[in-house]
Amino acid sequence: MEPSRGLSAPPGRALSAPIAGLALLAAGVVALPQLTRDSYYLDVATTILMNLALTMSLRLQVSTGQLNMAHISFMGIGAYASALLVTRVGISFWAALPIAAVVAALLAFPIGGLALRVTGPYYFLITFAFSEVVRLFFNNFFVDLFGGPSGLVGIPKPSALPWFGRALTFTTKLELYTLMAALLLVTAAVLVRLEHSRFGLVASAIRQGDLLAETLGVNVFRYKLTAYVVGSLVAGVAGAFFAHSHQVLHSSDFGLEPMVLLVVFTVIGGTGSVWGPVAGTVLMTIAGELLRELHHYESLVFGAVLILTMLWAPDGLVALPGKLARRRRAGVSLAP
Amino acid sequence: MSIDLLVQALLNGFGLAMVYVLVALGLTLIFSILEIINFAHGEFYMLGGYVTYYAFAVFGLNYFATLGFAILAVGLAGVVAERLIFRYLRGKTLNAFIVSLGLLWVMQASAQLSFGVLDKPVPSAFSGIVRAFGLVISVERLVVSLSAIVLIAALYLFLRWSRPGRAMRAVAQDADAAALQGVDIELVSALGFGIGCALAGGAGGLLAPVFAVSPAMGALPVVKAFIIIIIGGMGSLPGAVVGGLLLGSVEGLGSLFMGSAAVSVLGFLVVILALLVRPRGLFGGA
Repeated sequence: MEPSRGLSAPPGRALSAPIAGLALLAAGVVALPQLTRDSYYLDVATTILMNLALTMSLRLQVSTGQLNMAHISFMGIGAYASALLVTRVGISFWAALPIAAVVAALLAFPIGGLALRVTGPYYFLITFAFSEVVRLFFNNFFVDLFGGPSGLVGIPKPSALPWFGRALTFTTKLELYTLMAALLLVTAAVLVRLEHSRFGLVASAIRQGDLLAETLGVNVFRYKLTAYVVGSLVAGVAGAFFAHSHQVLHSSDFGLEPMVLLVVFTVIGGTGSVWGPVAGTVLMTIAGELLRELHHYESLVFGAVLILTMLWAPDGLVALPGKLARRRRAGVSLAP
Repeated sequence: MSIDLLVQALLNGFGLAMVYVLVALGLTLIFSILEIINFAHGEFYMLGGYVTYYAFAVFGLNYFATLGFAILAVGLAGVVAERLIFRYLRGKTLNAFIVSLGLLWVMQASAQLSFGVLDKPVPSAFSGIVRAFGLVISVERLVVSLSAIVLIAALYLFLRWSRPGRAMRAVAQDADAAALQGVDIELVSALGFGIGCALAGGAGGLLAPVFAVSPAMGALPVVKAFIIIIIGGMGSLPGAVVGGLLLGSVEGLGSLFMGSAAVSVLGFLVVILALLVRPRGLFGGA
């Protein structure tokens, strides 16, 4: 969709930058509960971590040049699958989580396979149509199973896990934060590793010109489908966590509104780098929380912030330091 | 089931579909000139609704004069939006998505703050029904559909024969080539965006007496417009009309057999099927 600044790192170079990035992310995640145990901050932080898993995996799909508006649906599929596996089938959360993720990934094969036949705005619109079908399905069909408009209630928190003779419980906000932090760090490590592999290089080539990549012998469709399925797997994990930490599911949790926020986080942060969604999600969530003070003016100011940020930093926040440095070197003023 | 009932259901579906075609035509015109999808399109429709409310229901202006006023005012708002914001986003699909989303929130919040969150009813300009061939149509719906058809025809004639209309089609085909022939791209894109928004404003004015006016009223017509565009093909005028007729008949007939929730699923399933059979829509280019 967007020409990028070129390959992020030559394949031969050491992985020092991504490892430093991961270490920084891990340090931030570990440091936060040392700084505060306030339940409001822990709630916001847990939501940020869950959204990070979603935006980083969405960005994996965008990195092959496609904006998937049905990403949130796979979170929903993972959430409903895990909730039903635990409440109806009676297996433990720890078995349900991977199964739910695999269910989301398996459904991503046919849906992604169909949607990826079209490109550009058509892909955007067909994935949007898919997401509405999935949401309306959860809302209107099999009400006994999915709970219909009143929602699916009574989902238990994750069960305790034996750990060297002790039992690790996941009931308090801090324990749920720790669980999501562990899930996110594993996810981030996998996605960063993927970005700096052959896969990441080919994805970048596809984004910059898929016709060229195709003529050079790249199976573009297979790469796009792989990104779609891996992204959906991660969304399924996030969904399973969401189901058991919120304990209530509504179809609107996986509708257009939360999806649009994920796109905002990802694009404002910048889709050219694997760290773009991290910057976007953290900064925009904090901005959103601060703007709550404005009450009626909240969405007015948030909307204005989006417009101005995109006009001022069209490649996202992560591209901003480099852009400023280049301008300073060239001695150009900052006026647009 | 009698034939009359089927025809009546089809007519019910077509009536409002023509207005949604207007919304869709504005979206598709803007897309073909600037290569962006404007998600705030429904908010220009909302603006048209409020202009109609104040001019017609509050100040008592003539219905058709109000409609013309709504079209002009919203068109002007569109030109302003293009000059201030959208001209920097030509071809940048992702950025335009975020920016138009921001504009959507700004416009909705502004409407809530200045007009209030409650629905404002607009009285019908026409009352009564027409009976013909065993069918029943309300005069209001008839006027609304016919006005929409007149506006669609006017747009077609403008794009087909007028000089600025031909310049727009040239830019839609190839902006660089058009610029080389002396077409003023900036002027065309401001005019195109303005006309696209004016169409949404006209649709909002037409439907204001049918539904009530509210800050969130733009959401429904935009979703319908998206469905129409996907079926008909991005950037195609006849495609949008055919897409609108198809959506209208599916919804009209569907409501005979199933509930409204199932009908909305049906609309999206038609979209997915249409895209799978013809990935660029029925009338989309290669």
